[in-house]
Amino acid sequence: MNAPAVQERQPAAFGAGIGLRACHYREFLDSNPPAAWLEVHSENYFGAGGYDLHVLDHVRASYPLSLHGVGLSIGSADGLREAHLAKLKRLVDRIEPALVSEHLCWGAIGARHFNDLLPLPYTNAALEQIVARVTQVQDTLRRRILVENVSSYLEFSDSDMSEFSFLAELARRSGCGILLDVNNMYVNSINHGFDTGRALSEIPVGLVGEIHLAGHSPSEDLLIDDHGSRIAAPVWALYEAACARFDAVPALIEWDTAIPALDVLLDEASKAQRIMALAHV
Amino acid sequence: MSELADLQARFCAGLESMDGGTPDLFRSAGDIGKRFGIYRGNARANTANALGGSYPVVAKIVGEDFFSGLAREYGMRYPSVSGDLNEYGESFAGFLDEFAPAREIAYLADVARLEWRVHRAHYAADVVAFDPARLATVAPEQQGDLMPRLNPACSFMHSAFPLARIWEVNQSQYEGAFEVDFSREPAYVLVYRPRFRVEVMEIPPAAAAFLKAVEQGGTLETALSAAQLHDVAFDLGGWLVEWIASAVIVDFQINGG
Repeated sequence: MNAPAVQERQPAAFGAGIGLRACHYREFLDSNPPAAWLEVHSENYFGAGGYDLHVLDHVRASYPLSLHGVGLSIGSADGLREAHLAKLKRLVDRIEPALVSEHLCWGAIGARHFNDLLPLPYTNAALEQIVARVTQVQDTLRRRILVENVSSYLEFSDSDMSEFSFLAELARRSGCGILLDVNNMYVNSINHGFDTGRALSEIPVGLVGEIHLAGHSPSEDLLIDDHGSRIAAPVWALYEAACARFDAVPALIEWDTAIPALDVLLDEASKAQRIMALAHV
Repeated sequence: MSELADLQARFCAGLESMDGGTPDLFRSAGDIGKRFGIYRGNARANTANALGGSYPVVAKIVGEDFFSGLAREYGMRYPSVSGDLNEYGESFAGFLDEFAPAREIAYLADVARLEWRVHRAHYAADVVAFDPARLATVAPEQQGDLMPRLNPACSFMHSAFPLARIWEVNQSQYEGAFEVDFSREPAYVLVYRPRFRVEVMEIPPAAAAFLKAVEQGGTLETALSAAQLHDVAFDLGGWLVEWIASAVIVDFQINGG
């Protein structure tokens, strides 16, 4: 597999940041809240101009930025949506973020888009297709991207490898990095009944470029990945285990529903920062 | 068809199925039908939330329950086709025109038309404010040939209803009387974005005729003639000052050099 023409931008280990959401824009325009770095959803900045891009242009002067895509659908069997990829490229070229990431999932087929992060079957045939897509994205953006493991509620009968061995193989073959979402890993370990220690061991050291932390909520025999609460104790424990195994990489607090005051996010980020610091003295 | 394409086509059919059937693709522990239902629910909720975000006034007018029903019907007829949910909802006004339960509120579709313009204006390209002093450098005999350029965020529409007023009283920060005078003449509404905040105002037919001529590439002279068909006393200077200040007009070009 040819390595893409990657412009390496190894971010310094810039610590634990937070997801920037519109309800906190004002605070970031008025002052520089003590966030280590910021991540935004790429699609919210696909416009030609306007307020959202204005805010992004403003914060990029003060914070390292990550563009995190939720709609590119790298796992669609019928290929990437070129118009979507072109908009992502326009944004990446304009913002020059420290990190760019997408999800290991699909969301679209034909003309239909479900605007969701739908799970993939973990097979060799699927792997080959997705390696090609990630390579295409990296060639277009002319840089390495990170690909994130998603939460899921179902496993396909067709799958013949584990989620994390699939993700590790994708990273090896395409040259992408891994955005390890430890909340998603924990949620899936409960929903599908696997051991998180074993899952962690399937991810080679050196391939992880970022770690996500978020809240989930229980629903009978399932955990729902709703990003609507503080991070749960078992997810903090898994984060500690991840910090012990992997290099020091940027960590991020994600909160997307019932978003609290900025201070709550910064408090969670401080906690992640302390755990990171203890693991990498 | 690849295995992956086949699997995704069946997953897709399951999400869209009306009878709640679950495709035979999964080996999960637990209640597979219930788990698949989470994805079906997400697909509906994601587009419904996006629609509510783009049409807050329609949602406020009809109330939460009715809007949920509208979003569900609209979602079935006009599924999302983009990974950018800010593009979702373009056909909502047309849907409201056709959908009988919504037609009981006669002005609802026009409110939706206005809200889509407001929504798109939010994402339109930024412009550099025009410096009126530049007009002073144009020779008087050339001024009539100047072609004003509209802000890409700017648009206007006609309605049989007092749309600007309906929009105003339904803004979340609006404080004041809620009366809307429905007996007024049909009017034009201008959507514009001075900087980042999108504004809505009613404009007289002469002003609308002027902007329409400008939109079609007209010069100051031809646009003025169009305005004067509606109002012989059309105050060109006054409107230009206002439209330059509010970034409705963002530049002037000399026609033919």
